[in-house]
Amino acid sequence: MSTANVAMQVGRTTRRAVLGGLSACVVAPGAMAGPAAWEGVPAVAALLAGVEPRRDGLALQLPALTEDGSSVNVTVVAESPMTADDHIATLHLFAPRNPSPEVAAFHLAPGLGRAEISTRIRLNESQTVIAVARTNKGEVRLAAREVTVTTTGCLVPSDQTTAGVMQEPRVRVGPSLPAEVRTIIDHPMETGLRQDSAGRPVPERIVREVIATAGETILLRAELFRSVAANPYLRFFVDGQAPVELQVTWVEDTGARVSATVQVPAA
Amino acid sequence: MSTIVHAIDRRGALSLLAGGAALGVGRPSLGQGAAGRVIVVGGGFGGATAARYIRRLDPAVEVTLIEPAERFYTCPFSNLYLGGLRDFESLGHGFDALRRAGVSVVHATAEDVDTAGRTVRLSTGDTLPYDRLVLSPGIDIRWGALEGYDEAAAEKAPHAWKAGSQTKLLRAQLEAMEDGGLFVLVAPANPFRCPPGPYERISMVAHYLKTNKPHSKILVLDAKDQFSKQGLFTDAWAALYGDMIEWVGLSQDGKVVRVDADAREVETEFGNKHKAAVLNVVPPQQAGLIAERAGVTDDSGWVPVVPATFASAKVEHVYVVGDATIAAPMPKSGFCANTQAKVVAAAVVADLAGRAPPAPVWVNTCYSLIAPDYGISVAGVYRVMDGKIAEVEGSGGVSPREADAAFRKREADYGAGWYAAISADTWGA
Repeated sequence: MSTANVAMQVGRTTRRAVLGGLSACVVAPGAMAGPAAWEGVPAVAALLAGVEPRRDGLALQLPALTEDGSSVNVTVVAESPMTADDHIATLHLFAPRNPSPEVAAFHLAPGLGRAEISTRIRLNESQTVIAVARTNKGEVRLAAREVTVTTTGCLVPSDQTTAGVMQEPRVRVGPSLPAEVRTIIDHPMETGLRQDSAGRPVPERIVREVIATAGETILLRAELFRSVAANPYLRFFVDGQAPVELQVTWVEDTGARVSATVQVPAA
Repeated sequence: MSTIVHAIDRRGALSLLAGGAALGVGRPSLGQGAAGRVIVVGGGFGGATAARYIRRLDPAVEVTLIEPAERFYTCPFSNLYLGGLRDFESLGHGFDALRRAGVSVVHATAEDVDTAGRTVRLSTGDTLPYDRLVLSPGIDIRWGALEGYDEAAAEKAPHAWKAGSQTKLLRAQLEAMEDGGLFVLVAPANPFRCPPGPYERISMVAHYLKTNKPHSKILVLDAKDQFSKQGLFTDAWAALYGDMIEWVGLSQDGKVVRVDADAREVETEFGNKHKAAVLNVVPPQQAGLIAERAGVTDDSGWVPVVPATFASAKVEHVYVVGDATIAAPMPKSGFCANTQAKVVAAAVVADLAGRAPPAPVWVNTCYSLIAPDYGISVAGVYRVMDGKIAEVEGSGGVSPREADAAFRKREADYGAGWYAAISADTWGA
């Protein structure tokens, strides 16, 4: 089943219920044999900078089994009041066994109302996906989740490519509060690691940033790397304390950018 | 095309299975019955094959098959019934040949398994003991995983992903639909039973509509951006059915997040609503519920197995075959269930006799029919490599993208021949 469906359903329950429900997905520290999953992952070690992360208050939701590593739903949820004094400031996602372990980094503002982000990622092989959260006070949390990636003989991937220009993104705002925002754009997210049918290397070309703003305020800035799936997708929340005009801007590594604007109603 | 190659490999695989058991190291202690008691749950491609082949490999083993239906109706070729190319009864298979082979067939539902006490409790109230248990539970629907889609909704917007009354309901709705109506099929994310199934169904519905209601349209809303044999299907759709079929993938807002079965309306994740004259929802799935009762499923809702034997990776003395298992790169197909069941039969017989199991080889072909004279296929041979199931390089492949009408016709014929042959192999002639 699809993770995003679950995410949608939990989106309407309380944050406590969400975390309670998701806690089963978090690999407990004691459950891991040998060294912790993130040891030996330089990007994670650099981010932790010697700090022992908390293993609670952060949940990482992925399917335990996927037959298509080219697009895997992932949701990261952190327990946080998301106030100016106490909020999650950054969320990082890592796929340590991908050619590029860093998947995405999300910079969150309190106005999101909920520290919950979903996206779709590439997984080269079975591995333990890692999420790291940092609060505005510098507290660090970590969650890890094992994912089995298989391919099936009935799935022969097509060599499809997307048009060369940045397309108009889609944005949708859900009816309840905090308002669920979903956005997607057509884009190949070329990794620079594959060859075309003639054997020529296809140059890297990715969407590197997605920025959601309300007036002058940046609510969310997402840095995307090449382990984000083609046709990148984001789902996040806006608190709805006041009505805002939300602008979502997608920025390609070429510097090209496109925006879409939606209204987020207040409570 | 690989059909011939694969036919040879199949024979090779079978002879390997038959001749593989050799070194006896003495039987372990068993319950009553000299060679042991095996219960097989599920009378589909996996279960019926396992029951027959255990008896064939060792007639001293007592085999009991638990299957509620007196006739088993197959999902494979049920799309041809929807397209008007087969009658429903041609999909049904009885169990007389299994009885003749010495299998004790009990028409009941297996409600629970006590894997510590090694017993299966039936809907009849009986509790049966086993030395080895083979589960071939197929799939169950994850009711409610797709908002608005529960058992009541399925009576209005059928899934028809288990052959039977659901299949007949969908056919009746197609027959009642007015010319010019919109048929909507909602396709799930992976993994699910029969990866090419939704697209064969679309093809067969298109054939029915083109013949009977040519002004009608078909919309496929898909939670994936890619699907099995995609290029072959889309080429054929364009050639045979013109603009009748529209396919919308995940990144084009094809993912359905809500179903209103009363209104026959679905809503996608970016808020588009589509109203159907006939709404066919292929919903998220999981291993058949008895697998969960037996404790063999994992977090994913599917069953991890030991690749070489299809023994449960979690519970002793239990083997699992078919769609319920995590067997990728083998797809969830009837052919795979059949070939896995032969491996399990050999492994169970060896296990009961205290011998090592033979090295397995599996084969699969998925035929899909796009029009009465237009068939395509994907085939593969699988072995255990580095402790995992892997496709033997160069063993299979898909039908060529460029092929003439005679080639497509031959593949349609091969498909019909495959169905007759595998049905005979599974349930007996």
